[in-house]
Amino acid sequence: MSSTPNPDLSTSIGKIRLKNPVIVASGTFGFGQEYEDFLDLNELGAIIPKGISLKPMVGNRPPRLFETEGGMINSIGLQNPGLNDFIKNKLPYFKIIQTHLIVNFFGNTESEYVELAKKLDGLPGVSGFEMNISCPNVKKGGMVFGTDPKMTFRLVQRVRRSTHLNLMVKLSPNVTDIALIAKSSADAGADAVSLVNTFKAMAINIHTRKPEIGNVTGGLSGPAIKPIALRMVWEVCKAVNIPVIGMGGITRAEDAIEYFLAGASAIQIGTANLVNPKTAIEVIDGIRRYLLQNRMTSIQKCIGLLKLKA
Amino acid sequence: MMAIQIDGVVLKNHKIKSSYYLLELDCPVISSQAKPGQFVMLQISGLNYPLLRRPFSIYRSYPATHPRKSKRGHLFILYKKVGLGTEIMTAFQKGQKVNLIGPLGNGYTLPPLPSPSGVILIGGGVGIASLLPLAETLRDQKLFIFIGGRTKDDVLCEKEFGQGGRSKVFIATEDGSNGRKGTVISLFLSKMEQFHQNNTLYIYSCGPDGMLKALSKKLRSKEWSVQASLESRMGCGIGACWGCVIKTRDPQRPYQRVCKEGPVFNLKEIDWE
Repeated sequence: MSSTPNPDLSTSIGKIRLKNPVIVASGTFGFGQEYEDFLDLNELGAIIPKGISLKPMVGNRPPRLFETEGGMINSIGLQNPGLNDFIKNKLPYFKIIQTHLIVNFFGNTESEYVELAKKLDGLPGVSGFEMNISCPNVKKGGMVFGTDPKMTFRLVQRVRRSTHLNLMVKLSPNVTDIALIAKSSADAGADAVSLVNTFKAMAINIHTRKPEIGNVTGGLSGPAIKPIALRMVWEVCKAVNIPVIGMGGITRAEDAIEYFLAGASAIQIGTANLVNPKTAIEVIDGIRRYLLQNRMTSIQKCIGLLKLKA
Repeated sequence: MMAIQIDGVVLKNHKIKSSYYLLELDCPVISSQAKPGQFVMLQISGLNYPLLRRPFSIYRSYPATHPRKSKRGHLFILYKKVGLGTEIMTAFQKGQKVNLIGPLGNGYTLPPLPSPSGVILIGGGVGIASLLPLAETLRDQKLFIFIGGRTKDDVLCEKEFGQGGRSKVFIATEDGSNGRKGTVISLFLSKMEQFHQNNTLYIYSCGPDGMLKALSKKLRSKEWSVQASLESRMGCGIGACWGCVIKTRDPQRPYQRVCKEGPVFNLKEIDWE
């Protein structure tokens, strides 16, 4: 039997190199520790914990979740303990984890984004950032920044000037042309873009005639959004020259491969972590098998391999 | 303590009454650790619809070392067919594997023992399920058990609770088809004078929000300890997503996770708004 070398899964998302292209998405993986009983965190490409703001946020009124066909609507409202608590009580845990920590953060104003980047820059264990300009569930800030190309450019540029660490911008799908926002982010100096965040959505209980979500609307995620998210990732990959991190409805390796073929350099797993905590590990194994079966020596050989001609 | 993700094997799955079913699984890893009031997250389907796991109270659990050999490692879930997820569960077949995460949540805190004035358990509908393991743990105490349901078809576990020699079971149905007509809370209140008013009473309850809310309103002025197990739609069940929160009176932490800080809360801490 001839020995087949293990395919090289490593990939670059700007200034940092991941051992594999599977990242766990912000908001679906707590602060890492919640998952330690279920999988070896060291095997992940990177971990993105729950989004952090300068001050603690209490989040939205319940109900915050509603399951729909092949997906779920959530409106958590970015509940988080705030920057100081994160640094004091959450960050130390990552010292023992042998993978990249990418900190997701968001502000209500441009200055808050800048302050967060400055305060987090240089903290031991922080490999890079994902700035969230795309949450559909908060009134101020959030998605507002991510729906206007000029506002996106200005905000990303200011944050860019505040940190040398790897800067990834998380984009909202709730826009007419997501490639335009991605280009603004790239032009402003982002190292990578990640997409998509959730689709603004709602559900109504016909018996009570009330919304199923306390905040009336929420964000749709899960397998239901995958075809739209994939199309958006493909469009963005054609529009920018920085790495694109794809996400939306990935539950198994086959889904991830679609994103790589569309041009994504890495992927994120979100909702599927809630359903099966081991999803990320299973996806990594499945990607490896696909590469072996298709005689590809590395994940890089697979990225952007979409055939458009007959 | 560690939560575990593991396949259980279906041993039995049968209807016990109207729309209520009992699922018996072989799952020694979880059943050996489970405490009264804890729950499991059960994966309904390997497909993407229904997508999310469903939380279920552990109804009975026998550790791998249990003296009755035939029950060793068995885990029971009492469930009501209410939607697509539970409907799929009714078709679970003997030998089928079902993926579980558990045991999860904090469970009930036991009263100081012995408890001479007795312990009160109040359950509505399928909510009674989480109180049975508590009753079994407290089998040597004097127990007053209040079981409520809409009709006689919703009164569960009457026999099981009656088995302890020192327990007394009271039943209420909204239509009067079994026991006292009315809610289980009004039945409990009508019996309250029986209990030693001067002692601290330990009350445990699990049931629909409406029931817990009524109980909370009536007992607000009392110095009694009331633990309530709450239900909520859950995303992960392991404290990661913050989707299952309920509102509490704690100004520092107004929203707390049913899956992590709960499912058992001090009833007086809940803000029903």
